[in-house]
Amino acid sequence: MSESEMAIIKPEVMKSYIWLQTADGSIQQVEEEVAMFCPMICREIIQTGMGSSKNYAISLPQRVNPSILSLILDYCRFHQVPGRSNKERKSFDEKFIRIDTKRLCELTSAADSLQLKPLVDLTSRALARMIEGKTPEEIRETFHLPDDLTEEEKLEPLRNTADDPRIRLLNRLYARKRKELKEREKLKNVEVEEEHVDERSVDDLLSFINGGDGDSKVPKTSKHKKKNRRRKDQAKDVSSDNVSKNHKKDPADLSSVEPSPSKTSKIQEAAVDSLAAKVEFDDGDIDDELDPAMKEELDREVEDFARRLNSDWPERMQEILSSGQERRHAPISMNGNGSLRRYTGLERR
Amino acid sequence: MAYSFPEEVLEHVFSFIHSDKDRNAVSLVCKSWYEIERWCRRRIFVGNCYAVSPRIVIRRFPEVRSVSLKGKPHFADFNLVPEGWGGYVYPWISAMAEAYPWLEELRLKRMVVTDEALELISRSFKNFSALVLSSCEGFTTDGLAAIAANCRNLKELDLRECDVDDRSGNWLSHFPESCTSLVSLSFSCLEGEVSFSALERLVSRCTNLRALRLNHSVPLDKLPNLLRRAPQLVDLGMGAYTAELRPELYSRLGNAFAGCKGLKSLSGFWDVVPSYLPATYSVCAGITFLNLSYATIQSPDLIKLIRQCRNLQRLWVLDYIEDSGLNALAASCKDLEELRVFPSDPFGQEANVSLTEQGLVSVSEGCPKLQSVLYFCRQMTNAALFTIARNRPNMTRFRLCIIEPRTPDYLTLQPLDAGFGAIVEHCKDLRRLSLSGLLTDLVFEYIGTHAQKLEMLSVAFAGESDLGLHHVLSGCKSLRKLEIRDCPFGDKALFVNASKLETMRSLWMSSCSVSFGACKLLGQKMPRLNVEVIDERAPPDLRPESEPIERLYVYRTIAGPRLDMPGFVWTMGDEKSATEFS
Repeated sequence: MSESEMAIIKPEVMKSYIWLQTADGSIQQVEEEVAMFCPMICREIIQTGMGSSKNYAISLPQRVNPSILSLILDYCRFHQVPGRSNKERKSFDEKFIRIDTKRLCELTSAADSLQLKPLVDLTSRALARMIEGKTPEEIRETFHLPDDLTEEEKLEPLRNTADDPRIRLLNRLYARKRKELKEREKLKNVEVEEEHVDERSVDDLLSFINGGDGDSKVPKTSKHKKKNRRRKDQAKDVSSDNVSKNHKKDPADLSSVEPSPSKTSKIQEAAVDSLAAKVEFDDGDIDDELDPAMKEELDREVEDFARRLNSDWPERMQEILSSGQERRHAPISMNGNGSLRRYTGLERR
Repeated sequence: MAYSFPEEVLEHVFSFIHSDKDRNAVSLVCKSWYEIERWCRRRIFVGNCYAVSPRIVIRRFPEVRSVSLKGKPHFADFNLVPEGWGGYVYPWISAMAEAYPWLEELRLKRMVVTDEALELISRSFKNFSALVLSSCEGFTTDGLAAIAANCRNLKELDLRECDVDDRSGNWLSHFPESCTSLVSLSFSCLEGEVSFSALERLVSRCTNLRALRLNHSVPLDKLPNLLRRAPQLVDLGMGAYTAELRPELYSRLGNAFAGCKGLKSLSGFWDVVPSYLPATYSVCAGITFLNLSYATIQSPDLIKLIRQCRNLQRLWVLDYIEDSGLNALAASCKDLEELRVFPSDPFGQEANVSLTEQGLVSVSEGCPKLQSVLYFCRQMTNAALFTIARNRPNMTRFRLCIIEPRTPDYLTLQPLDAGFGAIVEHCKDLRRLSLSGLLTDLVFEYIGTHAQKLEMLSVAFAGESDLGLHHVLSGCKSLRKLEIRDCPFGDKALFVNASKLETMRSLWMSSCSVSFGACKLLGQKMPRLNVEVIDERAPPDLRPESEPIERLYVYRTIAGPRLDMPGFVWTMGDEKSATEFS
């Protein structure tokens, strides 16, 4: 070859390119050292010899579209340069992931399919930071995820006040379900005593306690006893009034409840089934023996429901055990009804 | 259109999410996230061991590696929970021995741990690496010997304020010569002597040891040798810090400390002799946690020590520090975040030290990062509380313990309602609060109105009526734990706020005015609560229903009534109990 011909060929020989094809069919060429930074591409080149020309372009996984590929190649182009300092790399990375959520997700997915671990870690961490501190609803919005856990599964945590519409609906539904359950039992020829069932919901109970017209089947004597005791103590009328006032703000009228679509009530009925069953077992007034097979099934349903209902209890009970354990000290009564811990050298027991 | 991920990618993202709160949020996003999350959950925390059964936990989280459990209610620390109440860990260990062969860590607080349980742990988990027992009881040093002998990869063995039957110091010798993995060894609560040569050899060969907390029995003259063998220590709990004054010991000690350039935490200091304190000065500049709660030294010596610790973040000290010492603290330690002042003579009738509200005010002024306070004193004023509140709106934990119950503002003789009201109003991030002094229902109204981030409230000898309790239960949105003793709170507030109890971890009420009838009703109406009546006098049904019970412990649970109750505890609304009482 003549010198002049060599001069023309040299520039190309000095830089070699790899050909890549994305799932949509489009093909592009990339500097070899940049492409080799991706383990998956690197393997393809070495093992199959593909990528050296347009006709033998390496097929990239489906999750890599052209625009994301270009991002990834930017990343590779920067990081494959050996001389860069950690500070430089970190700074590049921080800027690199400042993209919209959709692209970040696509990028994570694509990096994973190309087995580009450093980029997978970088993007995963970024996604984790986006998730932290958010409520489930906010996370759903951020990532456009379906809201497909059932109402009963999401019902936890239970709200504070009794006027939460879901609680009231549940109360009403389980009262009804208990009735149905009992009918079913009767059909099975199990002896059910004519016990007096206290079917009051908590709200009914509240109006009963506060002197309302609850449908009470329990004799009022205990209530009077309490009232007498109250009068004996001190004039607690002010407090009683306040308490009643507070309660009246919260009507026990269940008909004002507007449940969400029928799907919800259906699910809640199923949930309530279990709840009702549990109430059955816990209510000391009822001592009918349920068919053991049914009992077992109800047990399982109850547990299932309870499990899903209470899935974020650790959150509620959250208190990370810290290394410097706190010692809590409350005021001590002078009759020695609570001694301090050993730090003062006193006996614990 | 959902942004879809392959499962492994999502799992990888979740591996960077650690807090329980966030993981629980993740599990509630949608069905697929719920499933993925539960399989990759490695760490769980159960704040009340009776709220859920081991079986349920295991079923939902099959791949757990680290479990934290809490047993008895907090007031057990003050002997308000009778012996034998419960909190047994064995059923959990037994279930996990089968289900979690790869379990690595176990952290227990206020639980009853037996030697059998410890032996089972030591045999069942091949990769077991960390055992932390706080305020636990029921085991002996034989159990510790089993852990030492059988856990090949043990990194952490921490006993904090446990009640251990100390049979022999030889348990330390059960660590095999091949054991070099220890990172943290803490046995400060043990009463008896330990085999000192075993300890020295163990410390020598565990070159990764970062934390070592000795017990009282290790004499001061052994300390320099130990420190020389472990210059990499970050956390040191000394044994007895007392000896006759010997210059050569003093200089050996000084040199040894100087060699531990990474020390950040100092504790122990039993029977401390002030003349030996300066031996620690070379490391004081790096100290961030100083626990002097056993150190019976006077204010001048304390001040000298504290002045050396310019980077101090947490200080636990006896009230010997007095106002003068707290002034010095405020001037020297600008990074202080946590202060705990314990009483040296809690049962004395008169103040034995000059520690007043001024000391706390001074620290609140001088330390801008102060956010956690536990303060025992004998006098307080509303004005002081106002000042503290205004100075430190960043306060997150405030526990004030005025020693004599129902003590009013000593200047105005008024209740301290307004002072605590100022605290909850200004400190919007307050998560934990303990009240003391003379308090009416008004303070609870303030708390219910303002303390929206409050998670734990401790009340004793306060309030006038049910209204007080009602304010708290109906107002504090974030309330999780409420513990009350000797307050005139009764049935009404409980009934009106019954559903609130299902949103909390637990409620404790002792020596209040809750009737047995109310407890029964509450137990029947609220199937997801365990309503436990604790009464050592006699079965409560032998007395009139309206009579108050001794103690009430209500907690939410999905495990149903527990089956391991002693004779003086009854669960209300439970079928079994109900028939007993019919």
